[in-house]
Amino acid sequence: MRVLLVEDDDLIGCGIEAGLRQAGFTVDWARDGHKAGLALDTTSYELLLLDLGLPRVSGMDLLKRLRDAGKDMPVLVLTARGTVADRVGGLEAGADDYLGKPFDLSELIARCRALLRRAQGRSVEVIRYRDLTVNPSAQSVEVSGTRVSLTAREWAILLQLITNQGIPQSRARLEESLYGWQEEIESNAIEVHVSNLRKKLGAKLIRTVRNIGYVVEKE
Amino acid sequence: MGASIRRRLMLLVLASIALVWAIALASSYRQASREVAQWEEARLAELAQMLALLDQSNLATLANAHIDVREEERGGATSANDSDDDDSLPRDALFQVRARNGEVIAGSPPLRALNAWDLPVPRVTGTQDVMLNGEMYHSFTLRDTALGHTVRVFEQANTRSDLVSGVASRIARPALIALPVLALLVWSSIGWSLAPLRILSGAIRSRGINRLEPVDIGHVPTEVRPLVDAINLLLSRLLHSLERERAFTADAAHELKTPLAAIKVQAQVALAEPDAARQRLAMERVVQGVDRSARLAEQLLLLARLDMHEKMSTAPLAPGEAARNAWIANERNAQQKNLHVTLNCDMRAAIDAEPVLIGILFDNLLDNAIKYGCEGGSIEIAVRTVKDPTRDAVQERVVVSVRDDGPGVAPADLARLANRFFRATGNQATGSGLGLSIVARIAEHFGGRVHFGRGIDGRGLAVEVSFPAYTAVPDERLQPVA
Repeated sequence: MRVLLVEDDDLIGCGIEAGLRQAGFTVDWARDGHKAGLALDTTSYELLLLDLGLPRVSGMDLLKRLRDAGKDMPVLVLTARGTVADRVGGLEAGADDYLGKPFDLSELIARCRALLRRAQGRSVEVIRYRDLTVNPSAQSVEVSGTRVSLTAREWAILLQLITNQGIPQSRARLEESLYGWQEEIESNAIEVHVSNLRKKLGAKLIRTVRNIGYVVEKE
Repeated sequence: MGASIRRRLMLLVLASIALVWAIALASSYRQASREVAQWEEARLAELAQMLALLDQSNLATLANAHIDVREEERGGATSANDSDDDDSLPRDALFQVRARNGEVIAGSPPLRALNAWDLPVPRVTGTQDVMLNGEMYHSFTLRDTALGHTVRVFEQANTRSDLVSGVASRIARPALIALPVLALLVWSSIGWSLAPLRILSGAIRSRGINRLEPVDIGHVPTEVRPLVDAINLLLSRLLHSLERERAFTADAAHELKTPLAAIKVQAQVALAEPDAARQRLAMERVVQGVDRSARLAEQLLLLARLDMHEKMSTAPLAPGEAARNAWIANERNAQQKNLHVTLNCDMRAAIDAEPVLIGILFDNLLDNAIKYGCEGGSIEIAVRTVKDPTRDAVQERVVVSVRDDGPGVAPADLARLANRFFRATGNQATGSGLGLSIVARIAEHFGGRVHFGRGIDGRGLAVEVSFPAYTAVPDERLQPVA
């Protein structure tokens, strides 16, 4: 799950980044509205965490531009200005949720998960697929009730495929969800991780779509 | 009891009325007494002429009868029990008629008792006042040239003043009745005229502390209008300052929330982090966040204190000294960014200010220059004395400046630099946005002016603060040596 964090304050930004990483998200952190705009143009994110008081391009402008461009990813607004008017303004400009500073990291992560769930059309956190039980918040997978341990990369690929059932995911898309800006992309890594997943969870789960990538079929 | 407009007006109005009335009364009294005197004189002259026409036997008969002047005066027309009659004394006229040789032909017998029988007779016709037996008498002497008789008539003087005082009291009595009525009318009309003041004070008294809209009490007389206008002006100023205060509190709360949010997030990351090194890093960031909140709280307190004191105790001091101290205090931070700091100070320049605050001013300027300066750049601190071009040549100002060669500030943002919580766009350094507001506020306290401009070689930012130069007051020098 790749999310974009837009926050101008260094201390808050690196705190949220670390917290989201702990929760299994892939995080890109933009410190101003301009850089955030560039990131949104070049990468597809599952979720946007947006601080409204930004230098250069304000959070509100960024949000409006995003919605005008037809991007419908969920947006969680973070701000210290928590008046009702601020919240209403933010929500009307296209935000999906609102969190006032100072907030609880666990609440922030729970809200992120809830927004992602809603965007994927699910109402419960735990995903059941045939004999598979996937729990994104606990980062756990069970096959017929037996827990299987996965690496962080395998987990990220599984999550990307199983939350987009029936939609083939390209290699590039999978790589995007796997690596943040700072990380080196290993070549052939996706094939290796997919083959490992097949070994651990069964060969029929992930189907190769020739010249495109991989898909988990709709149940 | 304080001074009352109503009582003062009341006293002034009544005193004026009483004064005018007293003058009117005095002049009426004088007029009346003059008229009475003329009338009495005429009456005595008439009586004397009548006596001059009588023969000797008639005079003798008359001498033994009383002549009541009042009967003549009234002509018997008015009734005896006239309530207005304050002239109750018998008004007997006395007379004496002498022959050419001075022999007394006839006379009222009471004249003997008054030792007036042999009084020397004036040679001319006319009135005289004579003292008979200790009492004042008016007399009229008539020399009859045809018969050679001299007729002299006497009348007691007090009877005349009785008449005059009667006239005076008749004039004064309505005034004495009218004065209390007038006082009542004046009292109530002044009270009625002062009603707008009462309404105004009522309108102000009934206000809560949050109701600062202009006072509107409807129709206001021209005399009260300036007061209402002044109150409204004060209210609008209060409202303005209150709004500023509220905005400041809101901004301050917002600014305090940010480091608090950072502390909370970092602490929670540390709690959930299994890796010891990362946990330590998060904890270090918690400490950074606490330092930042502490600094912000300090700055807010300083601003509040600066706002609270209108006047501050000052002493002559050298800003060059303060600049050097600030430089020493910030040396380590400058070295960390490889910044080259030059100090170019006129140590003789002096200003009248408070040393701790001037130290804070330099600290803030230098801290900003270091924070927003480029890695490896330079900072220039200068103190110099200049002639103020806007005043006469005698006036000198001390200009303190801190310049850097960093990225600077967009021209559009220059004017807003001293605004509280304003941070120029595009900067990465963490700051509260209060540093330059504090500088501006301190400068303001000591008559200083802040100016922002281009920094070293037209790059970066220059902050200049010019203070009036301290000059020893000439009077002090002229004081004689004890």
